[in-house]
Amino acid sequence: MTGVVRPTLAVLEREVIKLLAQRGRLLSALVRPLLWLLVIGAGFGALQGGDAGNRYQSFLVPGVLGLTALFGGILAALSTVYDRESGVMRMLVIAPLQPHWIVLAKTLGATLAAIVQSVLLLLVLGALGYLSGRVSIPLFALGLLGTAFACASLGMLVAAWSRNLDNYATMMNLVIFPVFFLSGSLYPVQQLPQILEVVTTLNPYTHGVDLLKHSGIGAAGSQQADFSIGFNIAMLLGFSALALGVACLRFSRADANESLVHRLARKHTD
Amino acid sequence: MTGEDLAIRAERLSKRYGDTRAADAVDLAIPRGQFFGLLGPNGAGKTSLIHMLSTLIRPSAGDAWVAGHSVRREKLAVRASIGVVFQEPALDRALTAAQNLRFAGLLNDLPRAEIKKRSDELLALFGLADHRDRPAGALSGGMRRALDIARGVIHRPQILFLDEPTIGLDVPNRRAIWRHIARLRAEFGITVFLTTHHLEEAENCDEVAFLAAGRIVHGGRPNVLIERFGKYVVEAESDRPKELAERLEARLGEALIEADGVQFRCNHEPADLGALHAELAASARAVRWRRPNLNDVFLWVNRPAQSQRRAA
Repeated sequence: MTGVVRPTLAVLEREVIKLLAQRGRLLSALVRPLLWLLVIGAGFGALQGGDAGNRYQSFLVPGVLGLTALFGGILAALSTVYDRESGVMRMLVIAPLQPHWIVLAKTLGATLAAIVQSVLLLLVLGALGYLSGRVSIPLFALGLLGTAFACASLGMLVAAWSRNLDNYATMMNLVIFPVFFLSGSLYPVQQLPQILEVVTTLNPYTHGVDLLKHSGIGAAGSQQADFSIGFNIAMLLGFSALALGVACLRFSRADANESLVHRLARKHTD
Repeated sequence: MTGEDLAIRAERLSKRYGDTRAADAVDLAIPRGQFFGLLGPNGAGKTSLIHMLSTLIRPSAGDAWVAGHSVRREKLAVRASIGVVFQEPALDRALTAAQNLRFAGLLNDLPRAEIKKRSDELLALFGLADHRDRPAGALSGGMRRALDIARGVIHRPQILFLDEPTIGLDVPNRRAIWRHIARLRAEFGITVFLTTHHLEEAENCDEVAFLAAGRIVHGGRPNVLIERFGKYVVEAESDRPKELAERLEARLGEALIEADGVQFRCNHEPADLGALHAELAASARAVRWRRPNLNDVFLWVNRPAQSQRRAA
């Protein structure tokens, strides 16, 4: 029986080829977080004035790294919707693979795309002097991986219900922005009004950013993590497993495939 | 013939969508290495049948065995032994020709060195060697179709399904696609299951079956079908085809009435054509006779119910 390692690598390889070919996508992956950090960070920092202002910019470092992973992971996972419209999904569904492997491979591909973009941003932040010298590399790696994987899983979950690219834009506004704003990226969770604090605590993305805060990636003393490392990991893993489980069920249902096949046939006879 | 020698066997294979029967108790027995053509009008159920045989959709009833594996219970084993070329290309337009083949090869778990060897071979075989590093989206329609077929056979499947492989292509490209398929058959002894609208292309098939409303209504070797159909076809162009049909049917043979004329299927040499011309000068614009072909067999099989009743 056909193995799953080479097919998974094929999906990862394609993700990287596409990412490197799309200069605009890479550029916006860098510009978006830098706008938050350098413009909004400076603006809100000025409200606080002096040292506190600089501290606010440093506070944003884990948040903007998370933002890059969030956009990178969700957009790459949502490309599954586009794959369905193009020929790639036909190649995948006719391959001797279980449907859940296709979902897992696509999720890993999206995770990889998110990590590549975040690492690029990391290099830029390093060059601009925004990184702390006392970062815990294992915690940082865990935080980045956990954030990227959870965002990719969320993207797959959304992709499983998206029929076409029209509601893809809607998904950006209904998913990406709420997830970003309802997290500890821009402000400490503990200081939020209670209802927002509850929602934010339930948001898995909060815990990815929180892990990055734990790693001490921003300049020293600027960031206080909101939750324990164990709780962060549990939330990230729990959410990813749940999201992927549901996405796999959805993609494995024969009729999901069938409607794809049906549409392809109908498109032609129209 | 034993089951072992069959590439594809279907028993009462059926697919329903609500009240529509896309496939209705279809039986098939296609020997290994055969070039099989499934013919039928749009909506006859050809694509549904291909999708069931390639495990993309689940039969509502019945079962089929492809390369000896059940399409219901052994989907992955079936998929590993078949190649499918859909009506629309299964290619990533952003990847190059070589990258597309590599992606397809890896999805089928082939080692990288083997993929390299086979894709070089296939690109050369299909005249794409000079285009290996061009994105699939930048290739011409004919080249893209050729690449799609190469994609479908990179894992050397025993059986290749081709759903309207030449649709949308011009004549030179269609001929090129048929040369590629002939080479694949000669080189790898691959079984080919084809659907097409271009019936002259199906005349090269070892065997054809006509599908109408989900049922196989006719079939056999193309030359035998044509021979049995009749010796000649007489065509008369006229504004009053019905009248002509009634007048001449007894003399010429069974009539098929169309909007702007009538065809007769003759089992004997048509009577003196010159005399016929003279006789019909007032009622027909033109009268011709010719040898029948698969198009005629197809037209007669799919003729409107009214004219079938009349003939009966």
